[in-house]
Amino acid sequence: MSRQRFSSRNQNTTTFKTKEQAIGPVSNTIMLIILACLLGLLYLTQVTKTNAFSYRINDLKEKQSSLQTEHDQLVVDSARLQSLERARSSEVANKLANATPSATIQN
Amino acid sequence: MRNQPVAISHHFTALSRIRLWYVCLLVVAGVFVVRLFYLQVIRHDYYQTAALTKQLKEYEVPASRGIIEATSNGKTVPIVLNESKYTLFADPIYVKDPKAAADAVARIIGGDANSYEAQLKTDNTRYVVLAKKLDKDKAEALDKLELKGIGTREASYRTYPQGQLAAQLLGFVNDEGSGKYGLEEALDAQLKGAPGQLKAITDAQGVPLASNKENIVIEPQQGDRVILTVDLGMQQQLEDALKSGLERAQSKTGSALIIEVKTGAVKAVANYPTYNPAEFFKTEDASVFNNAAVSAPLEVGSIMKPLTTAAALDLGVINKETTYYDPGFFQIGDARVTNIEEAGGAATRSVADILQLSLNTGATWLLMQMGGGEINKQARERWYDYMTDHYGFGKPTGIEQGYEAGGSIPDPNEGFGLDIQYANAAFGQGMTATPLQMAAALASAINGGTYFRPRLVEKIIRHDGVEKVVEPEIVRQDVVGARVSDDLRSLLEFAFSKNYMIYGMRNSHPEYSIGTKTGTAQVPKPEGGYYDDRFNGTFLGYIGGDTPQYVIVVRVNEPKIAGYAGSRAAGPIFSSVVENLINNGNVTPKTN
Repeated sequence: MSRQRFSSRNQNTTTFKTKEQAIGPVSNTIMLIILACLLGLLYLTQVTKTNAFSYRINDLKEKQSSLQTEHDQLVVDSARLQSLERARSSEVANKLANATPSATIQN
Repeated sequence: MRNQPVAISHHFTALSRIRLWYVCLLVVAGVFVVRLFYLQVIRHDYYQTAALTKQLKEYEVPASRGIIEATSNGKTVPIVLNESKYTLFADPIYVKDPKAAADAVARIIGGDANSYEAQLKTDNTRYVVLAKKLDKDKAEALDKLELKGIGTREASYRTYPQGQLAAQLLGFVNDEGSGKYGLEEALDAQLKGAPGQLKAITDAQGVPLASNKENIVIEPQQGDRVILTVDLGMQQQLEDALKSGLERAQSKTGSALIIEVKTGAVKAVANYPTYNPAEFFKTEDASVFNNAAVSAPLEVGSIMKPLTTAAALDLGVINKETTYYDPGFFQIGDARVTNIEEAGGAATRSVADILQLSLNTGATWLLMQMGGGEINKQARERWYDYMTDHYGFGKPTGIEQGYEAGGSIPDPNEGFGLDIQYANAAFGQGMTATPLQMAAALASAINGGTYFRPRLVEKIIRHDGVEKVVEPEIVRQDVVGARVSDDLRSLLEFAFSKNYMIYGMRNSHPEYSIGTKTGTAQVPKPEGGYYDDRFNGTFLGYIGGDTPQYVIVVRVNEPKIAGYAGSRAAGPIFSSVVENLINNGNVTPKTN
């Protein structure tokens, strides 16, 4: 009783309905597929880009290894050039004469 | 009206056809789904493994073996390094024209083309090694030829810039990468390091792809860098002196070493004959690999007498001034202990005479004093205690060397003829010790009584740069008392002052303190007893200024030179070493 009374006093008699531009299910699916493809493309681009660095890293590592080998070889050559055997058979050493010490250093 | 049933029928047929296609499509799609489910879910593990087998590569990254350095004029100098060399290998199956390939290989690396051809025609193997240790330029030249079935592989080899120097001390590294003999064997684990690991998804060329988050990269842990106590100059001169001394004494083999009295640091170790560690595989006699100074014990002979004397002094049973009546021989059971002819017969002798004249009867008398006047259980046990617990005989010293021997000391209470065995042991027969053990024992007896463990390593630098300085390790501090040490030095210096000319030394170098003792040891027969005509010459001595600096031990095996092996064969080598040390300024002279 009271509800009817209230209703009759305050309820609008006219209703307005706004028209909604809703995307249909087909469009929705297509858009999702496109988005997924874009994301996939983005992923592949990044992965390819990252993998491209692998080759650069690999080249640099090979270069480092080659330089290290070269360095090690130079150390070996340097040690050989300074060896006692080489010093003893050198031209300078061959010109040296034996000498008997005449005194001993006192300290 | 008449046509209506036809239309319905036509519509029904078209619908049925669509439905049929629809069902077909569903069936096909279903087949795909089922197949994909089977492949991707049920056979997931199988295909994942198959894919990873192709893509996932796992490499072991070898660690670089640690280098070894020695000291030269205050600087460290590398004596063992690593060098990249190349192995030339072939898979005979892929070599279509062995003759042409063999000729091409021979043109670049030399060698016999026919031999290469024969190897390339081998049909029972798919891997033949044509050459090892090729230089880089040769390997590159071979690679440029692009010979099918033939390739090169890089490998790291040990290289020795000083050639044969200190070969036995260093040892070598075999083809499996394991250290053998000497330092390489003793410190193999430290020098070897630990290999790294690379586990990664790779492309077709094997290049690791950075995008895989599960890649594993573990860097190798390089081997430790080892810096030795060895002085290169001393080492070279010791080797030269030993070689020329052995030639002069007409001996085929011998050893010598120099050890620092106050630290136990070994400054030089020489053995002859020697070998080239870079070409160890060319050595036919494997005994040459041994560092005989630490791995070949011998009956040391009279160089034991200073230690017997020190023990008797330390026990307080004699003092430096003690004299005694020496009968010229002692009868012990069935055996008779006698002296060399030059020592003379029965006489009153002093402790100094025992060392200067090298009296076997004197050493026996010293042992008797340990037993209260006779060789008995107490004498044997006391001498045994000094030999094993004080001087460290009968067990390895722990020096960083492979195959170190401990020698042997007879048990004081078990066995036959114990009294004569112990009388013999008092003058260095019937027991064995290495030259290194003798050096360490004498060093402890003259430095105030501290036994330092002999060592070859001065410093270790780890792969991460952390340095570990190896401090001298004291094994025992009361080998003999300080007073005994002083007394022993004066007795040995007295012996040297009387005998130095016999050793080929021109003067006694009074500005230095030099003490010596010779040994001429009979060579034991394998079946027991001794040869009458075969002797080893040994020499034990030290040089220093106000205090002893270096102990030197020389061993000459079975020299043919006339005279006593100790003084005539080993003595001149000691003299030569001492004069080199003096001339090089390696020894600090006395201050007054």
